[in-house]
Amino acid sequence: MLKKEKTDTQIREEEYSESRDSKSLLKRPSISIRTRLIIAFSLIFVLSAVITIWSFITIEQIMDKIQFLKTSDNYKSEILEARRFEKNYLLYGTNLNDAQNNVHNAKSILEENSETIIKILGSSDFLKMESLLSEYQELLEKLGTKLYDNEKKNVEQRLREHGLKMIETALNFENIERQSVDDMLKLAHRIPFIFLFLLLLSIIFIISFLARQLLGSLARFMKYTERIADGDFSPIPPQRKYQDEFSQLRMAFNHMIKELDHRHKILVESHKLRAVGTLVAGVAHELNNPLNNTMLTASMLQEDYNDLEDEEKLDMINDVIKETERSQKIVCNLLNFARESEVKLIPLNLNEILNDSIRLVANQVKLSKINLIRNFSKNISPIHGDAQMLQQVFVNLILNAIDALHEKGTITVSTFKSKDENYITAEIKDNGPGIPEHILERIFEPFFTTKPIRKGTGLGLSVSRGILRSIGGYITVESKINEGAAFKVILPTTNIPSDFNPQHILDSSSGYNFD
Amino acid sequence: MPDKLKIMVIDDEEIVGKRLKPALEKRGDIIESFVNSKEALARLVEEHFDIVITDIRMDEIDGLEVLDYIKSHSKDTKVIMITGYATVEVAREALAKGAFDFIAKPFKPEDLRIIINKAVKELNAEQMT
Repeated sequence: MLKKEKTDTQIREEEYSESRDSKSLLKRPSISIRTRLIIAFSLIFVLSAVITIWSFITIEQIMDKIQFLKTSDNYKSEILEARRFEKNYLLYGTNLNDAQNNVHNAKSILEENSETIIKILGSSDFLKMESLLSEYQELLEKLGTKLYDNEKKNVEQRLREHGLKMIETALNFENIERQSVDDMLKLAHRIPFIFLFLLLLSIIFIISFLARQLLGSLARFMKYTERIADGDFSPIPPQRKYQDEFSQLRMAFNHMIKELDHRHKILVESHKLRAVGTLVAGVAHELNNPLNNTMLTASMLQEDYNDLEDEEKLDMINDVIKETERSQKIVCNLLNFARESEVKLIPLNLNEILNDSIRLVANQVKLSKINLIRNFSKNISPIHGDAQMLQQVFVNLILNAIDALHEKGTITVSTFKSKDENYITAEIKDNGPGIPEHILERIFEPFFTTKPIRKGTGLGLSVSRGILRSIGGYITVESKINEGAAFKVILPTTNIPSDFNPQHILDSSSGYNFD
Repeated sequence: MPDKLKIMVIDDEEIVGKRLKPALEKRGDIIESFVNSKEALARLVEEHFDIVITDIRMDEIDGLEVLDYIKSHSKDTKVIMITGYATVEVAREALAKGAFDFIAKPFKPEDLRIIINKAVKELNAEQMT
């Protein structure tokens, strides 16, 4: 009753810790993988949109520039035309009306596009161009009036100088504009490459992000499943500062682990009870001997009470006590084995555990006419384990050997130091028919059995392996057809710290086969 | 048929022989008890016993083998089997092999004496014919 209450408290504690776990999870910020994926792909979209708009604007600008380039070209040809008429005037004395027209046209082009030109060349250059045009115009007008030869030459000279300057500015204007178009074209040319480069960067970022966030977590959970399959039912600790689908998965895993642990305990217990069922037949038989001795002695004491010497009576009473004690031991041994108890890892003498296990199966051994040989090494260190669980493993292995032998075989139970000094090996060997190679690798699988239905559940070896893993040991098998099978149970000595986790060995690949 | 019957008790439990000897001697028979079935068998080779009471389950040579030996060497010996764990199969097998009767542990000396009396009656009847 006390034990049951304790179990209930433990269950409540576990539930409490689980709800506490989920409460602490709820406190953490929630960034789901879905949200993260949406953010990542939105960023890519925004990036693409920005670059598309940028390239659109650039092309618009180039189109404007090209349009404007035509204007500057018109301006330049008006100036050149004016100068051609200026040249004709100077050489052949033709009139300057046409030149006047051209300058007028150039001036109107300048005025029409004043804003754009100021933007490109700056206001000083624009004013300079404008003043040059105005002065040139004035000079042309002056030449149209009657002048003295001296003055005429002077004006002509200035006209030529102004004309040259005008051409210079027009060419400069055109060059600058061309240069700017070239620059913009170069930029437009680069935009696709810049876009590809940024796209590549963001894809690399997203892939590495996904790999880290998703694949990394998946790999982690794969490791957890392997760990669970190996019988390690400790809960998975939180790994993230925020909650997401994986935090939910971890909670679900922990819930599953708790259930599995519970079921595993039930499985071990029910398997033990099955073994108890088998042992009970033998125990009943074994019990009949001391009972019969007691019955015969007590009956004779009753029958011959008056004729017996005191010494004989005392001897008979002693026999009754002795045989009752013998019965008690037989019952206790089985009861100790069958009793449900907490798993306690304590230092144990492996030889004693084996002797207790052999005593439990002694009747099965006798009934099957099997020869059981003990070959114990005396100088072995104490092992770290739970007596009841180890007995369950050894009883199961010996019962299996008895089943394999049918009749009149030999079972050798030995203990010896393992290659690794921190381990002690118990070997249960039979000289039966052996286990076929194709079956050998499957015998530790749950529900695998070669026995007919109702005779075997196929859980014995799988449960044994689970038990051994939970106490940091493991089991191996070697077998040759017609030569028998040898099961080795390798157990940690007390040299290995008690908070030892078998998983550590699994990870450190110490060369042991843990199956 | 001599007045005194020769009865052998074979059981690897020492107390069985120890208690049955005085219990059965009360009838005036000669009782020899053995803990080791091999020694018992050697004794059976030497001498004829009228009744052999043997435990079925014993190390080395078991009760059924003892029965086989007796049935092939001295057919008129009555064999009473003691079964520690009475199963119909074992008892049926023993009876089929020619055992006179069987008794299941735990039993009282009186129970065995009743069976012995029956065996004696049959022995006497056989002698008459």
